[in-house]
Amino acid sequence: MTKPQEKPENLMSRRSFIASSIAGAFVLTLGLEGGKNVLAASGVADALPLAEGRPNRVATTAQLGTWLQIGSDETVMILVGSSEMGQGIMTGLAQLVAEDLMVNWANVKVESAPAGAIYANPLYHAQMTVGSGSMRGYYQSLRLAGATARDMLIAAAAQTWSVPVNLCRAVNGTVVNTSTNAVLTYGQLAAQAAQMPVPTNPALVPDNALRYIGTGLKRVDIPLKVDGSAIYGMDVRLPEMVYAAVKHCPSFGGTLAQTPSTPSGTIAVVPLQVLSGTGRGTETTGMINAVAVVADNTWKAMQAASYLSANWNIPASSLQLNSDDFVAQAEGFLANGAPDTRNAEIVGSIRKQLSWGKPLTNTYYLPYQAHAPMEVLNCTVRISGQAPNQRCEIWAPTQSQAATVATAMALTGLPITQIDVNTTFLGGGLGRKFEQDFVSQAIQVAMAINRPVKLMWSREEDYARDQYRPMAVVEIQASLDGEKKVKSWRYRNCSPSISLQRRPTSTAVDGQAIEGSTTATGVTYSFKARLVQHLVHPANIPIGYWRSVGNSINTFAVESMMDELAVSANLDPYQFRRQHLQTSPRALAVLDRAATMANWGGAVPSGRARGIALAQCFGSIVAQVVEISAPTAGQIKIHNIWCAVDCGRAINPDSVKAQIEGGIVHGINAALWEQVKFTAGKSSVTNFNNTRKIKLREMPQINIELMPTDPNVPLGGVGEPGVPAIAPAIANAYFKLTGTRVRRLPFFPQ
Amino acid sequence: MITLNVNNVSYQVNVTTDMPLLWVLRDVLGLTGTKYGCGRELCGACTVLINGRAERTCEYDVGGAVGKQITTIEGLSADRSHPVQQAWIEHQVPQCGFCQSGMIMEVVGELNDGRPKAEIINEVSNICSCGTFQRIRAAILSL
Repeated sequence: MTKPQEKPENLMSRRSFIASSIAGAFVLTLGLEGGKNVLAASGVADALPLAEGRPNRVATTAQLGTWLQIGSDETVMILVGSSEMGQGIMTGLAQLVAEDLMVNWANVKVESAPAGAIYANPLYHAQMTVGSGSMRGYYQSLRLAGATARDMLIAAAAQTWSVPVNLCRAVNGTVVNTSTNAVLTYGQLAAQAAQMPVPTNPALVPDNALRYIGTGLKRVDIPLKVDGSAIYGMDVRLPEMVYAAVKHCPSFGGTLAQTPSTPSGTIAVVPLQVLSGTGRGTETTGMINAVAVVADNTWKAMQAASYLSANWNIPASSLQLNSDDFVAQAEGFLANGAPDTRNAEIVGSIRKQLSWGKPLTNTYYLPYQAHAPMEVLNCTVRISGQAPNQRCEIWAPTQSQAATVATAMALTGLPITQIDVNTTFLGGGLGRKFEQDFVSQAIQVAMAINRPVKLMWSREEDYARDQYRPMAVVEIQASLDGEKKVKSWRYRNCSPSISLQRRPTSTAVDGQAIEGSTTATGVTYSFKARLVQHLVHPANIPIGYWRSVGNSINTFAVESMMDELAVSANLDPYQFRRQHLQTSPRALAVLDRAATMANWGGAVPSGRARGIALAQCFGSIVAQVVEISAPTAGQIKIHNIWCAVDCGRAINPDSVKAQIEGGIVHGINAALWEQVKFTAGKSSVTNFNNTRKIKLREMPQINIELMPTDPNVPLGGVGEPGVPAIAPAIANAYFKLTGTRVRRLPFFPQ
Repeated sequence: MITLNVNNVSYQVNVTTDMPLLWVLRDVLGLTGTKYGCGRELCGACTVLINGRAERTCEYDVGGAVGKQITTIEGLSADRSHPVQQAWIEHQVPQCGFCQSGMIMEVVGELNDGRPKAEIINEVSNICSCGTFQRIRAAILSL
């Protein structure tokens, strides 16, 4: 998700660090504006939009309100505000602290922070893990935290030795007296350091002396993920806990007619309503769209939910939720005009430019996509104590602690100080675990049955009740000038709007619907005239943020069209792109690097062809060349992918590469096989048997190079930028190979 | 009451014989390293070893496991020293890690069957939606 950016330095200037000593340990935490760290929140409906970039009005007095803690045993404990969902963020954020703290990496321990305002990502003013924004958001403040603690440890040593601080140096978890060579460890200094004044402007380690930043340190979470000890949300177990399985109305828009009786062998059936701010599209506030079946193990609960005989009221409007009709409706809007059309970019006069020469017009089709993280949605809740001193404890694989806290406040009515949110490992997030429907359901069950409960969705419920990547139909009309450069580019994306589903009265352009298609949000191609429009599609199937969001749609259309224009001009597609990047040196360098890596223009093995594509999103630039063959009809074999990435400074280059590899696979699955269609409000995909993902034997060789970067270039994100370019690169290679242009994804519907 | 041998420990469990082994491991014995991903033997997240062979357990009646040696990810080694675990760490395979218990047990099972590495790479059909397959392949080839 793209969010308005504010320079982290500006954010930090309004905050300051607070040091203290607990049981001989040095503890550093963050003070908030005006010293207030408990702010009122008026409920979930009010609080959820903070996920959209508004200031965080939700905060907790986290019991573990620390950023870092140095114990007398030399252990350095770092709490990270981002959720670990496979991106290696626990390691990456800890590297930032360790660098400027100048500590021995072996002594560093990392844990997920509880929910708390002090852990808010400065980029969003909220604690949430979205938009490839963790490094970009926390970089400056975590480095400053390390430097602050280090200078206080040095000050404590200088005081002990009665020498000026400039004679003391921090070396690998110790402070050395450079005149006597005396040494004190951080552990020995910890308690005393907490009494030192907090420095206001501690120096950061200079670029030429960095030890951890830029190094592919091994990830701290991986050992736990090879022996079964990593605790995901699904793995949380509490004393006296019961298990709940969810069954939704089989069609979107339907509601429960009457609560079914409790099946034998189970404990309860609990009707579940849509909490304000957690339902989208057809799922409106207050409707009872699901039930939970509670039992003494997951299997019993799931079996009973699956066979539960429930009566649902399904309105006529649900029967009209057909994705084929949505596509026809989009085509109608593109042909005849749409009732709600919003201009995202206007450069020059398209009308004037199109009147010259013969434009090329093509239409690209993208389906709804499900997130389907490997760990299905789940949440564990325990409400304990007597009013007014009740506590609501939540264990959740959440991408938004801020919204999880707000959800709990809205449902329980408890103040923020009586709500604890514990973030587990996430078995994949992909944008789905930003939503709070499953959290709301778990709290509702815990309140109804007055026992600790772990609520879980089956895979079938997951596919049936996602908040899907929206469908889109994109028409591009473009023409070239005498120099074979684009003189006019009319880009019209017809798709449902995620932001309008959440804020229907918004009159702004949905920035995520068009991201990847404008000069400001996509590849900075220079076209003489450009018009980018979003034609708002009214389909109200619930939609949400899917890895790379609108970029996954628009990059396919833009990069396919660029290829088609190159073919029409009889130009090499790589050279054609170059012509339009002469004022974009960074993008040009990335494109050139990928082409060089692939030896573009050189010999290609017989029976194979290559395609190229470029993406620019989340502050990063990614170019990909893919080499494919089509061994039999209806199949593509992907042999090699060469990928160049400019994400600014790579904090952990190996984690960056892993994220790009993962993004590419995500993009391949969606390009070749995956889609969700709807008939009468029901998803066409029910489980992994009627969709398809890549298998080990089909995995291409991915070669990734990170661009050497100017340290002054702002950091870019890496979780999502690997996704968008691979689909058009494959389509471009497929055209080269077969002469057939694929404009409708997926290639091979299952 | 039935008796199960899991990771060389004998357990008495009070469940019906048609309960899937996955849920006995997770909800009754608390061995949560084995995961639920689909419930239809499609994704492999629930793979364990039964008498040394890789089996998906989400539809495997616990009654069928009585008298057999069950090994879960927790019992593969005491200290992550199994060569497959070591290779997974060396190649920094896991991302979210949710599928990796099953992935590791699948590979161990196939190695136990004496399959060549190239054949294992060809056969593994476990799903990983983070897309760690390039590193899985490298890790297997390094064994």
